[in-house]
Amino acid sequence: MGDDMSNNPNGQKKPKVIAIYGKGGIGKSSTASNVAAACADEGYKVMIIGCDPKSDSSITLLGGKRIPTILDLIRSGVEITENDVVFEGYNGVKCVEVGGPEPGIGCAGRGIIVAIQKLKKISTAQDICDLVIYDVPGDIVCGGFVAPIRKGLVSEAYVLTSGEYMPLYAANNICRGLSKINTPLSGVICNARNVSREEEIVSKFAEEIGSELISFIPKEQIVQDCERDGFSVMEKAPDSEIAQVYRNLARAIMSRNRSVMVKALEDERLRELTR
Amino acid sequence: MDKNKDKVKVKKEISIIHPRPSSIVAALYTLRDLNVDVAILHGPPGCSFKHARLLEEDGIHVVTTSLDENGFVFGGHDELVALLEKVSEMFDPKLIGIVGTCVSMIIGEELHDAVLEANPDVPVIEVEVHAGYRNNTKGVLLALESALDSGIISENEFDRQKDLLEEATMVEKRHGAASKEYLAPSRGDLKYKIAQRIIDLLKEGKRGIVIMNAKKETGYMFADITVAVNEIAKQLGVGSNIINMANLDATLGLPRVRHHAKCIMDDLEERGIVIHENIGGLDEYPIAGNVAGKLIEEKYSDYDFAVITGVPHAIPMDSISGMEIISVTNGPRQVLPLKEMGHKYVIVEIDLHPKTLGINHIVESEFGATLREVAKEV
Ligand SMILES: Nc1ncnc2c1ncn2[C@@H]1O[C@H](COP(=O)(O)OP(=O)(O)OP(=O)(O)O)[C@@H](O)[C@H]1O
Ligand code: SF4
Ligand SMILES: [Mg+2]
Repeated sequence: MGDDMSNNPNGQKKPKVIAIYGKGGIGKSSTASNVAAACADEGYKVMIIGCDPKSDSSITLLGGKRIPTILDLIRSGVEITENDVVFEGYNGVKCVEVGGPEPGIGCAGRGIIVAIQKLKKISTAQDICDLVIYDVPGDIVCGGFVAPIRKGLVSEAYVLTSGEYMPLYAANNICRGLSKINTPLSGVICNARNVSREEEIVSKFAEEIGSELISFIPKEQIVQDCERDGFSVMEKAPDSEIAQVYRNLARAIMSRNRSVMVKALEDERLRELTR
Repeated sequence: MDKNKDKVKVKKEISIIHPRPSSIVAALYTLRDLNVDVAILHGPPGCSFKHARLLEEDGIHVVTTSLDENGFVFGGHDELVALLEKVSEMFDPKLIGIVGTCVSMIIGEELHDAVLEANPDVPVIEVEVHAGYRNNTKGVLLALESALDSGIISENEFDRQKDLLEEATMVEKRHGAASKEYLAPSRGDLKYKIAQRIIDLLKEGKRGIVIMNAKKETGYMFADITVAVNEIAKQLGVGSNIINMANLDATLGLPRVRHHAKCIMDDLEERGIVIHENIGGLDEYPIAGNVAGKLIEEKYSDYDFAVITGVPHAIPMDSISGMEIISVTNGPRQVLPLKEMGHKYVIVEIDLHPKTLGINHIVESEFGATLREVAKEV
């Protein structure tokens, strides 16, 4: 399973395949798309695979446009080829959306499993990339949402959190889950919400679980302004301070080769940290 | 601590590893007993297909929404609405049943929404059931609850059925298919040898009790064994040495079940066979055994042998332990538990159930045929 990534047709080294986990709404998708754009700016071949039924991972790389999703096409019963589902966005970033049912209907988790299997069958785009990002929804409510990891597609997992208690609680839970399925963590990213001692808290958390804080992204209105217009910060405001933060994060991820099995904290300790 | 005390009291349920009929199937059979014309399985095309086919033999239409991978992901509401409309047109049913499956229940399908949308002009019994219940009687219960809600059965009948189900579950746990973690299937003892044994007993002037404690339509075949033993006893001039008991009270149970009791009774009468003790309705097999037990203690405790058919493990051992017991089951996994209870001979009527569907007369059993054959040589 997943081994065929090593047989890269161009004899290149394996692509770096990452997934960013974290509490719902904490900023995974905007971080993922900005990192994708930043890496593309650096000259890397990048692909982003949105595994969220709400299909919002690639919008800001496509100038606000939506692309047909894999599951929409599967459902319509047509024969699907790579060109039907892989679209080029900002600076050549390849964009895919898995799609899924309307909220409250059917089974989104099964949808992710079916779609990524389909993608693997019809597309080799991942193999010629330097970086592939799986953008998963925040709440891993069933097995389908960890399928990219479980099926051996993802090689590096990151956790995104703020310094608030609930996002940290979620991050901690994710760490517990990762160690349960024997997946190491490559680093913790802080997406700030402007709470007091935020960097210190998240950094301490990262350290105590056995990992490290690799980036502190400030909370900036400009992220949302660009998003509203359908763009990443990298495209719309490349000279902003936060664009530089994303650039640094992108470099950190590309150069990173350390991942560790983490150990989740006791709930009591987590409370202490945020107190 | 109080909590711990409770934990000790609750006996840990054993984890049974042999596959067994599911709650979905149990719900389907219950819908049949409620006389639905069409049962819709809302789920994957192959779900419960073997039983669906058997039920079609029994005169009801079983169809499936055939959910595929798309259905799993996007739900099957539209498919269910379309199928409801289609069956209304194709079969002109008076009563429709819908049965859930693991798939449709896991993804949270609302059967009722589809019924509201299709709005057929006949009542629909919606059963939200899947195959993951420990006891498959849960499927029966869910179907009955839904039938109660839609006014198809009375509160009294529901309560009665519920009690019977609880008893049935207990019977299976005590000495039935739910009594052990694993029960290997067995074909039981050789029929011709046991036939010979019964004939010998009759020849020796031994007195016997023939008890049919059958589950619903299986009575059509188990009754044949009652007939055969009586025929041979008569042939040997010892007809009066036999006492017949059977759960054939035609005033009890769901309409279809009463009908079966009446048909079997009529057949027995026609063949001149007297049921000395009517021990309950055809759906009372979990409790009719106790009735039989009491009667034996009161009147027949000095009898020499007993031939027990249907659900033999529901007859309490205390009342019959002094007799030579020959039991006939249709469950290959029931052989071992029966032997362990102390039944000397256990015979299996393989594939009995399919042969008892879609009929309204007694059908010949393999053991009945063997008895008759062996008796010819006497
Ligand atoms: N650093 C930031 N500064 C300001 N706003 C931000 C920042 N990061 C994310 N946001 C905003 O927060 C909102 C939620 O972000 P996003 O959709 O990326 O979260 P998510 O973790 O992907 O959510 P989900 O779990 O639902 O997929 C967005 O409107 C986004 O623009
Ligand atoms: S798993 Fe459940 S839904 Fe699937 S075939 Fe078996 S009983 Fe039917
Ligand atoms: Mg997201």
